[in-house]
Amino acid sequence: MKSKEEILKELSDCVVDMEDKLVCGVAEEYIQAGYPALDGINEGLVDGMQRTAELYEQEEYFIPELLICSDAMYNGLDVLRPHLLKTESRQEKHKIVIGVVEGDTHDIGKNLVRIMLEAAGYEMHDLGRDVALQSFVDKAKEINANVIAMSTLMSTTMPGMGQVIEMLKAEGIRDKVKVIIGGAPISPAFAQKIGADGYSATAVDAVKLVDKLMRAESEKIGA
Amino acid sequence: MQAFTPKERLFAVVNKQPVDKPPCICPGGMMNMMFQDIMEKSNCLWPEAHVDPKKMADLAYALNEAGGFENYGLPFCMTVESEAMGARVNMGNLLCEPHVVDSPLSSSAQVCLLQPLDINSGRAKVVIEAIKLLNARNTGVPIIGNLTGPVSIAGTLVDMSVLLKEYLKSPAEAEKLMEFIVENLIAFGWAQIEAGADAICIAEPSGTGEILGPQRFKAFSVRYVNEVLDALSVPVKIVHICGALKSVYEIISEFHCNVFSFDSIVPVALIKKYIPEKVVMGNINTHALGTMSPEKVASLVKTAISKGIDIVAPACGLSTATPLINVQAMVTATKQKNKQLTKYPGDKNGKGYY
Repeated sequence: MKSKEEILKELSDCVVDMEDKLVCGVAEEYIQAGYPALDGINEGLVDGMQRTAELYEQEEYFIPELLICSDAMYNGLDVLRPHLLKTESRQEKHKIVIGVVEGDTHDIGKNLVRIMLEAAGYEMHDLGRDVALQSFVDKAKEINANVIAMSTLMSTTMPGMGQVIEMLKAEGIRDKVKVIIGGAPISPAFAQKIGADGYSATAVDAVKLVDKLMRAESEKIGA
Repeated sequence: MQAFTPKERLFAVVNKQPVDKPPCICPGGMMNMMFQDIMEKSNCLWPEAHVDPKKMADLAYALNEAGGFENYGLPFCMTVESEAMGARVNMGNLLCEPHVVDSPLSSSAQVCLLQPLDINSGRAKVVIEAIKLLNARNTGVPIIGNLTGPVSIAGTLVDMSVLLKEYLKSPAEAEKLMEFIVENLIAFGWAQIEAGADAICIAEPSGTGEILGPQRFKAFSVRYVNEVLDALSVPVKIVHICGALKSVYEIISEFHCNVFSFDSIVPVALIKKYIPEKVVMGNINTHALGTMSPEKVASLVKTAISKGIDIVAPACGLSTATPLINVQAMVTATKQKNKQLTKYPGDKNGKGYY
């Protein structure tokens, strides 16, 4: 029988090598061998996605590769997740509402951010694309979100992001949720202007940004 | 130096001949040139102006008349071709441009389900009629007809994520979709040229080096944009690629265009080294045009000219919230020889000033 480490490595490699079919069999084999699902996710699939992200940052991989790698990760997750212990799956995670703002249907960037944040352990609530501005606010209230992440590729739809922030203020929940934005026409200056909590240029940086915001938040609560 | 009409000036620059000042244009299409101020002033409002040839032509005419860009750029969005081939489009509103809401194909293998673009119906016809109306005015202002890049169209006919994966996993099938798109773009491009377009601009917001990587940028973006350009005969051929070009600088010269347009993130002096044979166009920050003061806009224009930009244009079209005074400031700045900048009175809302 293969050791746990061997199969974890295989899971990780399946993700990096874009083996979106093969990964299911490897995940099955891992479970059959009786190893814990949580480790399979974190040290196998997520490890693979993090290596993929590094290859992307080094410009070895581009978006098509990243998308197939993430398919492999999700296919593996589908096999492993049902085997999580109840306590593990109920573990409290930071919640993030994500979507492309109304008027825009370009969602590649948003999808990458969702994938990277998911791989980093955040609970993602993806509203999709061309999302009515009120839906961001409603969803954030419904699930008690920690972060709202908005993206747009079009300069004509950028103002919608500022409107969401105004709506959050009107609802009195602006201080309960961090707002981060991104997309080709977005700049740090624009983020500052509309009063967002952060901007990131890439999906990998989005993880660093959210980590930083959540760390600051827990320190604030701790203090 | 002789007086140039805007059209003569554009042609001269494209032929690398000396001119009195750089042209200041905004091509239209993906790089939208319209905004609320001018729509209201001319009473040619979106979304009607997308579907009514007279309003489309009048809006383009009004912007130039108001001291705006030295060209007419049609249409005002990048959805005409996709809609004609079968995508469902939301026509947007006064501030929001039309956008595809439903892709007709679930895979590029389904290319047979698409309908060919008919230049005699729908919004393709609107664009062609509008070009004819502008051409009939004979104003000496160049008409720029726009085509959405083949990769960007493919990414709306099939979901973009699916398309990108198929480029990698089943390129032969993806190529069939690309060929279909190219064939229809050529027909639409020719119809625009025959109606009176002086220039054709192809913009690839999705087919970029950043998204595809250099290898597929060459295999899909460059290849199919060139297939369209090679089939068209027009004095000015513009290609615009969005985003950072770092991974593909060395490939840009392979585009069969005489004008290359790029984003504000790309340094003018750097890109010029890679494409000395081409005329460079851009790259005034779109966000700055929408939000900053006219003085700031003028200084950005001066900087771009001093860095060697041949044709001054917004980096990636305009936001519909752009104030007319900023577009006027942009054009005016291209007319000034020295470094002195025009002073602008603050507008009544005090907006646009930092």
